[in-house]
Amino acid sequence: MVEAVNIVLLGLLVITAVAAIRLHDLFAVVMMFGIYSLLAATVFVVLDAVDVAFTEAAVGVGISTILMLTTLGLVGRWERRPVHRPFLPLLVVVVTGAALIYGTLDMPHFGDPDAPVHQHVAPRYLEQSPDEIGIPNVVTGVLASYRGYDTLGELTVIFTAGVGVLALLGIRRRRQDEATRER
Amino acid sequence: MLILVVTVLLGTMGLALIRAVRGPTVYDRILAANAFTTKTIVMVTTFGFMVGEPGLYLDIALMYALIGFIGTVAVLKVSEFGNLGQTRPELPPKPK
Amino acid sequence: MEIASAILLLIGALAMLVGGIGILRMPDLFTRLHAVGITDTLGAAAILLGLAFIAGWGLLLVKLFLILAVLLLLNPTASHALGRAAVHGARRPWLSAPK
Repeated sequence: MVEAVNIVLLGLLVITAVAAIRLHDLFAVVMMFGIYSLLAATVFVVLDAVDVAFTEAAVGVGISTILMLTTLGLVGRWERRPVHRPFLPLLVVVVTGAALIYGTLDMPHFGDPDAPVHQHVAPRYLEQSPDEIGIPNVVTGVLASYRGYDTLGELTVIFTAGVGVLALLGIRRRRQDEATRER
Repeated sequence: MLILVVTVLLGTMGLALIRAVRGPTVYDRILAANAFTTKTIVMVTTFGFMVGEPGLYLDIALMYALIGFIGTVAVLKVSEFGNLGQTRPELPPKPK
Repeated sequence: MEIASAILLLIGALAMLVGGIGILRMPDLFTRLHAVGITDTLGAAAILLGLAFIAGWGLLLVKLFLILAVLLLLNPTASHALGRAAVHGARRPWLSAPK
């Protein structure tokens, strides 16, 4: 059953991606990207990666929609006809994709207990973080020190989320002339 | 029973997605995306009960509901005013 | 308890299916809004209430009702805003079938 749900969700994901490519109304493309992020987050949920799903939903559905809409306000709503031929970018994309798929052949299976991530990093975090960092809580040690840059990036994302919500609420500094005019 | 509900919800998500793909107007797509979000929320909740650990999945569904509403409001604001409020419309002259 | 939950889940699934077909088949935006209304309120509420019967007393029940309250507050608001934006965008509902 879980596999069936996965297959259906991935099928919907493919439909959404193809539709987003084929549409020329950029506003509609933003809508399709919102649906795409929601579907990707749901796939993560079904795969038991709940934390990733949280991030994907917040970033993909919330912030990136608002950011792309703000961009649309600057660049206009309709796609322009491209001035160059698509063959060279297509070639680059195909080669990169083939290399990435070739790379996945060496990856461990999903949920494999012998995978390297379970073999060498996690035990070291558990055993040596009190000596190396001096914080008794392992999770805090991992988040604040071993993955400090990662946490910094997440904080940037949260800040951007706050900015997006502020943009939505329409809070902005009043200009001087407006202030005098309303007096 | 739960399996039936999840199946029906997946089917309904597909129907809403078809409407989002076919359009024809922007408002239809917004409507379909909003309906899609609701179905996903209910689907994730039911799926949590189906696999037997609903606690995690309920949190996710709750956050989807809040985030989806932010997205919908942003999209509607843009479609009505043209942007997210960077430019302010001219104030009407004050009555003397 | 199981029977009540099953009945509510069935009602919810039926409403979701009918509303989904309605989203696809209705002729214009405002009639589609009606179809979405069915799925957003009756469908979601019936399914969540059916799950609440399964969940029993506890934190799960509180979370389920929180989701239900959020959905019931936000979805009609979004539908209303959508209809208003569509009218502002110079779309008028069909008042009669085209001849």
